[in-house]
Amino acid sequence: MKTCRVSFQPGGAVVSVSEGTLLLDAAARAGILLDMPCGGQGRCGRCRVKVESGEVTGRENIHLSQEDMAQGWVLSCTARVVGDLAITVPPKVERDRAIVELPSARAAAQIALHWPRYPALRRAYLELTPPSLEDNAPDLERLRRGLRQEANLEGLELDVYQMRELGATLRQDNWRVSATLDASGPGNRLVDLRPGRIKGPLLGLAVDIGTTNVVAYLVNLDNGRLLGKASRMNRQVSCGEDVISRIVFSQREGGVDTLQNLAVDTINVLVKELAQAHGASPEDIGDMVMAGNTTMAHLFLGIPPRYIREEPYVPTATHFPVCTARDLGLAIHPRASVYCVPSVAAYVGGDITAGVLASKLYESDTLSLFLDVGTNGEIVLGNKDFMMTDACSAGPALEGAGMRCGMRAMPGAIEDVRISSLTLEPTIKVIGDVPAQGICGSGLISAVAEMLVTGVISKGGKIDLDYVLSRQPERPRARPGESGPEYVLVWAGEAGGGTDITLSEVDLENLVRVKAAIYAGIMVMAEKSGIPLDTVERVLIGGAFGQHINVEQAIQIGLLPDLPWDKFHFLGNTSAWGAYNILLSKHARSKVEELVAGMTYVELIADNSFMNEFTASLFLPHTDADRFPSVAHLLSR
Amino acid sequence: MALTAIEIYKYLPKTNCKDCGFPTCLAFAMKLAQKGAELSACKHVSEEAKSALEAASRPPIRLVTIGKDGRKVEVGNEVAMFRHEKTFYHQPGLLLRVKDSAAPDKVAQEMAAVASYKVERVGMQLSWNGLAIQNDGGDKAAFLAAVKLAQAHPELALVLMSDDPDTMAAALGDPAVAGRLPLIYAATEANWQKMAALAKQHKCPLAVRAGGLDALATLTEQVAAAGIEDIVVDPGARDFGDSLNALTQIRRLALKKSFRPLGYPVITFPGEKASSQEEEVLLATQHIARYAGVIVLDHFSPAMAYPLLTERLNIYTDPQKPLQMQAGVYPFGKPDPASPLLVTTNFSLTYFSVSSEIESSGFPTWLMVVDTEGQSVLTSWASGKFDAEKISKAAKNFKVEEKIGHRSLVIPGAVAVLRGELEGEFPEWKIMVGPREAVGIGPFLKQNWAR
Amino acid sequence: MPKVEAPVEKWRGRVQEVRLGGDGRKQVTVGGESTLPFLHFDGEIPHRPVIAAEVLDMPPADWAENVVSAWGDALKSPAAWAKKAAQLGADLIFLRLASAHPEQGNTSGAQAAKTVSQVMEATDLPLIVVGPDVAEKDNEVIVAVAEAARGQRLALGTVTDKNYRTIVATAMAGGHAVVAQAPMDMNLSKQLNILCCDVGLPKDSLVMDPTTGALGYGMEYALSVFERLRLAALQGDAMTAMPILCHAGYESWRQKEAKAVEGVPVSWGDQKVRSLLWEQMTALTLLQSGAEIMVLRHPRSMDVVRGVIDRLMARQGPVS
Ligand code: SF4
Ligand code: FES
Repeated sequence: MKTCRVSFQPGGAVVSVSEGTLLLDAAARAGILLDMPCGGQGRCGRCRVKVESGEVTGRENIHLSQEDMAQGWVLSCTARVVGDLAITVPPKVERDRAIVELPSARAAAQIALHWPRYPALRRAYLELTPPSLEDNAPDLERLRRGLRQEANLEGLELDVYQMRELGATLRQDNWRVSATLDASGPGNRLVDLRPGRIKGPLLGLAVDIGTTNVVAYLVNLDNGRLLGKASRMNRQVSCGEDVISRIVFSQREGGVDTLQNLAVDTINVLVKELAQAHGASPEDIGDMVMAGNTTMAHLFLGIPPRYIREEPYVPTATHFPVCTARDLGLAIHPRASVYCVPSVAAYVGGDITAGVLASKLYESDTLSLFLDVGTNGEIVLGNKDFMMTDACSAGPALEGAGMRCGMRAMPGAIEDVRISSLTLEPTIKVIGDVPAQGICGSGLISAVAEMLVTGVISKGGKIDLDYVLSRQPERPRARPGESGPEYVLVWAGEAGGGTDITLSEVDLENLVRVKAAIYAGIMVMAEKSGIPLDTVERVLIGGAFGQHINVEQAIQIGLLPDLPWDKFHFLGNTSAWGAYNILLSKHARSKVEELVAGMTYVELIADNSFMNEFTASLFLPHTDADRFPSVAHLLSR
Repeated sequence: MALTAIEIYKYLPKTNCKDCGFPTCLAFAMKLAQKGAELSACKHVSEEAKSALEAASRPPIRLVTIGKDGRKVEVGNEVAMFRHEKTFYHQPGLLLRVKDSAAPDKVAQEMAAVASYKVERVGMQLSWNGLAIQNDGGDKAAFLAAVKLAQAHPELALVLMSDDPDTMAAALGDPAVAGRLPLIYAATEANWQKMAALAKQHKCPLAVRAGGLDALATLTEQVAAAGIEDIVVDPGARDFGDSLNALTQIRRLALKKSFRPLGYPVITFPGEKASSQEEEVLLATQHIARYAGVIVLDHFSPAMAYPLLTERLNIYTDPQKPLQMQAGVYPFGKPDPASPLLVTTNFSLTYFSVSSEIESSGFPTWLMVVDTEGQSVLTSWASGKFDAEKISKAAKNFKVEEKIGHRSLVIPGAVAVLRGELEGEFPEWKIMVGPREAVGIGPFLKQNWAR
Repeated sequence: MPKVEAPVEKWRGRVQEVRLGGDGRKQVTVGGESTLPFLHFDGEIPHRPVIAAEVLDMPPADWAENVVSAWGDALKSPAAWAKKAAQLGADLIFLRLASAHPEQGNTSGAQAAKTVSQVMEATDLPLIVVGPDVAEKDNEVIVAVAEAARGQRLALGTVTDKNYRTIVATAMAGGHAVVAQAPMDMNLSKQLNILCCDVGLPKDSLVMDPTTGALGYGMEYALSVFERLRLAALQGDAMTAMPILCHAGYESWRQKEAKAVEGVPVSWGDQKVRSLLWEQMTALTLLQSGAEIMVLRHPRSMDVVRGVIDRLMARQGPVS
């Protein structure tokens, strides 16, 4: 048998192997361990290496384009050595993060630099001329004059409480004062007046109130820098896990107040944490922008949200009055203004409009699809000419809830699953270095995709007990369970909780419904606008959901449309980024108001389109396999 | 060809000024694309854009009205080959032909039967549209007499059938007859100038008859050139096969080729080639589903009128908006306060399958139907319209607690997830998860309520 | 120069052909069209739609008087019933093993096999055999029937997304076809077809039952489902291209409008006329939407509908 020499770059290792050896085995002989996410089945396309010279067999693979092949790319798990070879191994890509969130410092800088910096909050240090018999203007007049002349600020507004202290404050440091003014309204509202020069920057707070998590960004308004981030579980969770149960709670006696307080408490804890970490006082925070879904905004402001869930689903407001921290009980500067990002409709909230702002979808000609998926899926389709949006109810499965072995994405959660198509044995990846305790949303997507591809489940989402038994006669992982057939991901012996971690057909069905609702929501918009889905040039994914998801597997189950992977971009917490934008620039604030006015809300049940699309999507990946050509190709093998 | 929302949007000012009553220009464009709004609602479109949009939205089939008020027939303006593509908009007129050669008292009797016939279905009053009076023996006086008899029923739509322009002129000479705006049947190659003149003089719609589509198109162009716009065409096909062909081709030519000379409603006569009354009704059935605008039958009886009216109602139901059941609590088989209470949505198909299973189970049962805007169980759940709140509100509205002594509620198995939510809404109730499919209802009831 | 150019549609796809019936016996092939129903000018219609007579293996309990009297004594035995249906010109026998229902006698698989052989002795028409629509019993009786009638190429049912594995496997082993029923939704029908084919069922062994709605009871939904399936098939989707079976008889005769003699409005007219029209109109409307196998109940309806099919099958060229 012929022996071939294979050299590997970088590193320059050379091995001799016999003809017909798999490239990945040759690499192993050379001490190079290639990533094999699918276990070397040629299914994931991640083990690619480049053949610089020489011949191999087994070049063709769905994961390689014509161009790739022309350049010499092959999959090391399918290509076999034919003659002498020179191979280049690409740098390792972190597994399952082929498409990753922008590093946040960079993202923050990009956002900070995107808008002309023009915060609503200004501070002026004034050295006023003390009054005299010749210049006997009243104190207030003197302050106004100083602001006008020294800081070019007109139209000072202040209230009677501030006026009561004015005389003393001005004189305390001999007419040297620092005035902080809020220019978000028509005039300049006095937020703070203190004797002398204040050291330290002017601070602002951008907050994303999610149904589950609250995230706060502390921002230096003087230079636009993001100083720090903190996040906590929304304390309202104790009064209901999802939006609906929270609205139900709000309808109890004192319910709205309780929820309002809990939201504020959560933020106050974050404020304290951030202030401490940055040696600032909470009082230094003079401006705040809040983005949250419509219900969260209502509750944060203490507005009863009940009408949101009663037909015909109208919120009390989509635009909210600017109020002060004191009105709401926030532990920042009591006169700091608090701006809530406006909503489009009951189920398309300020988190989405802030997200659209942050995604800059409205700026380019590129047709983009923006997705934010949690217990609801919100979808925006558009570009600089138009934007349309809808929302569907997805249920909590993607947040790991509602399943027997479901859990949030935290240490102990299975977030990635690979199943061998030969042995049907799964390999799992768990968040944190701990035994598996349950499965989170991304793990669920991953598991279902693998079960589909390996034939453990049918396209209808039903477990094929006979098939699994035929492959695993000893200890089959699929078995009849209490609530129908189930698949054992982790045996009790290896699990953190000491019991089997399983997925039942009911869990599968839940996931199928969720993905169907989201995909149908996307399709309805394509249909209503008359824009074919395959003309979408970018898919922008915001929200927590995006952080752990594997695009390939999300496509395999038909959750995301079958577009080339490089069209998908994860943007991270777009809601918080949007709030950050607005904090930094009044232009961004007027932009978001403009965006809201221009977004067209599509009611899903106005006709039958959603019903049709939804039923068509209750299948893996979809009833119409033509819409998922890459998956159809995979399944046909 | 119809424009998509985004194509229409390109022509709009994109200012989102809301003057049209829609929140954005795109929302307005989507309504326009669905033909749910008029372009004139936006005062800001440029002339250029207006002409482009109007050309694209000109109806490919002329809307023609026969008769005045009452049971006038308004047909045409269709945009779909298949009802699922959009909907069929204008129900074909159903008329009875009487011949002037028949005994006058029999004619009067038939007319009265048509005029007085009424039947109720799903809360709607259905009736026959009108009469066609045929000049059978070529006797002008007989025709005038028959027309006169029809004057006793001024609410009915009328078709006057005579190929003789003089006879037609005489009938229309009575202003009370011409004032009913009857359809003049028919202009043919031989008489079209005179018939067209009559139609023009009396502002009546005119039927044009020719054998084959070529001859028909030639004739309609001539008639149109003579200034007649409201035309109904008769391609002369009378049997099942030829009329299916002819009507399909006319509809295709109008919709897909924008062929104006055949962009008119079609009149058919299912009785002429039928070998039995059943066949006549079946051919009329075909014509309802396949593209006729005016259907003139030769027989009339309640037993055939009722199914035909039902057929027409079915075919012309808007498939985009499923027929919804009235929400409420429905009793099956004399239930008492101890009988089971089931809940489902008001999508009529869901209701049909659930109710027929309950009925065939023979179990006295209450069925609460919740208004989900006509969406099925799963869809309404997915779009957030079938949830605990809705169900509990429905229960309150329908005063369920007064009708029912026990406190357990059976929900569809497909939405077992609602159970927890419902237990929150109905603290003192027991929520039971029923079968996933309607077929399981019988066994389920038996298992849980057998005493 | 003709003024009007015939607007002919050329379709990419074709309806799947399915042959039923055993060697040496009468066979029926349905499907194969490359055009919408009866539109001969667009494409070919190699096989006419067929009529199946609905036959039960026990005397029907709640059938309308005018159907019962039309069949007379034949109702007493499935063999006699099938024989009479054949004499009346049925193309197929649709045999429902109603007596296997746990509450209708709970008859066994062996009994079912016996019934089927008796019927096959009485007539050489191809058979569609379905169980009582109770999953476990269906499996039991259909497995027995499939065994007993090996090679006779029956259509067995009813396959649903719950039980398809067993019946499909049984049918494949015995060389039979299946009838796959999904609840009145184009996508659900297609999904079930895919599932059946995924477990190895050849495409030419599958007949779709997309669920029928009678006139006034969802007929328009069924119509649109049939039309959408057929259009998709003609556009080249092989997974919607199976021939369609339609229960116009069963669904129509279930309704008050067909059954009720008394206690209904006068405007409903004579029940004897109304009931037959109800069945025939449902049948015709759905034949024109794509049904290939029409299951009917009343002998007169079979006759009238066949007459109409004859006239629709007489080849017509384009009109112009
Ligand atoms: S009136 Fe015209 S410009 Fe104004 S929103 Fe409507 S479509 Fe747009
Ligand atoms: S390891 Fe080679 S394709 Fe997955």
